[in-house]
Amino acid sequence: MRGGSAFRVDVLEGARIALFSLRANRLRTVLTTMGIGIGVATLLAIVGIIQGLNTSFHRQLASFGANTLYVSKFPWMIKGDWWKYRNRKNFTLDQVARLRTLAPFITAMSPSVSRLSDVSYGGDQMSTVRIQGVNHEYLSISGFDVTAGRFLTESDEEVSRPVAVLGADVADRLFPGVSPVGRSIRVDNRTFQVVGTLSRKGKVVNESMDLLVLIPFKTFLRNFGRWRAFEIAMAVEDAGQVRAAEDQLVGILRRIRSTPPGEPDDFNINKPEAMAQTYAQLTGALYGVAVGVGLITLLVGGIGIMNIMLVSVRERTREIGVRRALGARKRTIVFQFLMEAASVSAVGGLLGTTVGLGTAKVVSLITPLAADVQLSTVLGGVFFAALVGLLFGIWPAARAANLDPVEALRYE
Amino acid sequence: MSQVSGAGEGRLIQVDDITRVFHVGGEEVRALRGVSFGISRGEWVAIIGQSGSGKSTMMNVLGCLDTPTSGRYMLNGKDVSRMTDDELAVIRNVEIGFIFQTFQLLPRETALANVELPLVYRGVSARERRERAKAALDKVQLTHRMHHRPNELSGGQRQRVAIARALVAEPSMLLADEPTGNLDSATGEEIVRLFEQLHHAGHTLVLVTHEPKLAARCPRAIRLSDGQLVADGPGREVALGVGAAALAAGGA
Repeated sequence: MRGGSAFRVDVLEGARIALFSLRANRLRTVLTTMGIGIGVATLLAIVGIIQGLNTSFHRQLASFGANTLYVSKFPWMIKGDWWKYRNRKNFTLDQVARLRTLAPFITAMSPSVSRLSDVSYGGDQMSTVRIQGVNHEYLSISGFDVTAGRFLTESDEEVSRPVAVLGADVADRLFPGVSPVGRSIRVDNRTFQVVGTLSRKGKVVNESMDLLVLIPFKTFLRNFGRWRAFEIAMAVEDAGQVRAAEDQLVGILRRIRSTPPGEPDDFNINKPEAMAQTYAQLTGALYGVAVGVGLITLLVGGIGIMNIMLVSVRERTREIGVRRALGARKRTIVFQFLMEAASVSAVGGLLGTTVGLGTAKVVSLITPLAADVQLSTVLGGVFFAALVGLLFGIWPAARAANLDPVEALRYE
Repeated sequence: MSQVSGAGEGRLIQVDDITRVFHVGGEEVRALRGVSFGISRGEWVAIIGQSGSGKSTMMNVLGCLDTPTSGRYMLNGKDVSRMTDDELAVIRNVEIGFIFQTFQLLPRETALANVELPLVYRGVSARERRERAKAALDKVQLTHRMHHRPNELSGGQRQRVAIARALVAEPSMLLADEPTGNLDSATGEEIVRLFEQLHHAGHTLVLVTHEPKLAARCPRAIRLSDGQLVADGPGREVALGVGAAALAAGGA
């Protein structure tokens, strides 16, 4: 009857007494749980928002194309001296042509240059629209689809035709309910004929990818200046080849740009993937600080639990004496109080989870940040809270169990 | 561990030369100084003495709430004077039914739940617990109050609940500490009658008290004074100071 069943008695009786005590002290339970709850809520809200940021960032990066590379004299994220990059020689179309022949593993390649302009049709005007000069191969690199009309062609490029393909935002704003194909728009007082429209990509880090107008690269240079630095967008067969392509490109580009041996590269190979890493570094620090704050809140909550458990032990000194006299072992008493501490904390964890998730959801509704909380985070929150309760319950529980039964029975 | 001595054979309780020394603020207090006696199954024995006589310490030792500093305590054939804390918890659960002066009921639990408590620690299933607790409450005529909390019961009813709790696990002995101390005389009388019934039903009763009138009702009484046994005999004689036992006590 003893042995195995003794443990069962410890657990069952511990749980029963714990729940009983929680119900008997509702107000105190609620107040005590609030500390832990706020800790968990803080932690969850922060983790949720950051997870959301990460997920959307990665999803959006993927729309850039994981199999793409962008060669430029500028890195995407400049660390250190901007002038160093500014003073590098620009790429030339001749270099693009040589790269084309020397790098057969590149499946699509397009020079790319852009500026922000005003775009108008009839009386409607949009400002700060990205005007991007690219060639006919850019479609497969960009990940856009053509939803109406056609994309830019090789001949558009050769003869610098004044044609344009509209991003979804521009098409929707300037041509609500009508097809823009065949109509003429004005970009900074120059006229372009719309030949096609693009599918919608959505936002990347709160910036619309669809607020753009694509025109032939040479048309861009002719209209908006040929001195501009441009980047070379390219795609390889699939994402797995990006790294190998990058290694080969370094050698080829150094040759094309006649970089003397020993000199550092005077170009950067940018990848959406690398951007993700830089981003991860950035948010990693933020993450650390936020989690630290949450943990400190939890610690404070844990001390609250410990305090209330010590009060509970004192209040129930005689009860402990009675239970000991009637056959409760020390372990049973320890279980009783640990269960109580853990369940108070778990209730707090549950409340905190609800509030934390709610906060994250509200944040995602009223701000562009998309909160994304995974089930594991929720379960982790409740579990973690219970664990905090257990940890901070150990000392009070041990005190309760080590009371001398004779003294405890006499306690007034 | 459970060696049976010649003297203790057949006896439910056998204490041999028990001492208990406390250290209070660097000073040695000898609460028991070599007490020996035996109690057989079915006896009703009062342990009496003035405050400071050592009777409370004796009761704690007999109840396995405390262990003697030296000497041996055999309970139901087992040497409990050297047991670990966990083993003592089991002994208390199985062998002893406590009845306290202040009842010591859990205030937030119903009478029924209070009576069930010893069975909880014995690992008895909930349904069986309920049945046995009801039966125990029936013995003290309190089944009609079983769903009430202690604060809804009178003093006498509370003590009857406590007695039911002591009976429920069918221990070897009932150990009562001033069971009528917190009751008016009429209610106290009720409780004493209940003890008489239990005695006739064959229960072993040990009653610790300072009231000679109560001890006089017991068939046997043991008087402690200054940590030593000074008289052991029929309750009336030891408690009220008449007859041979009193003479023996006077002689000592």
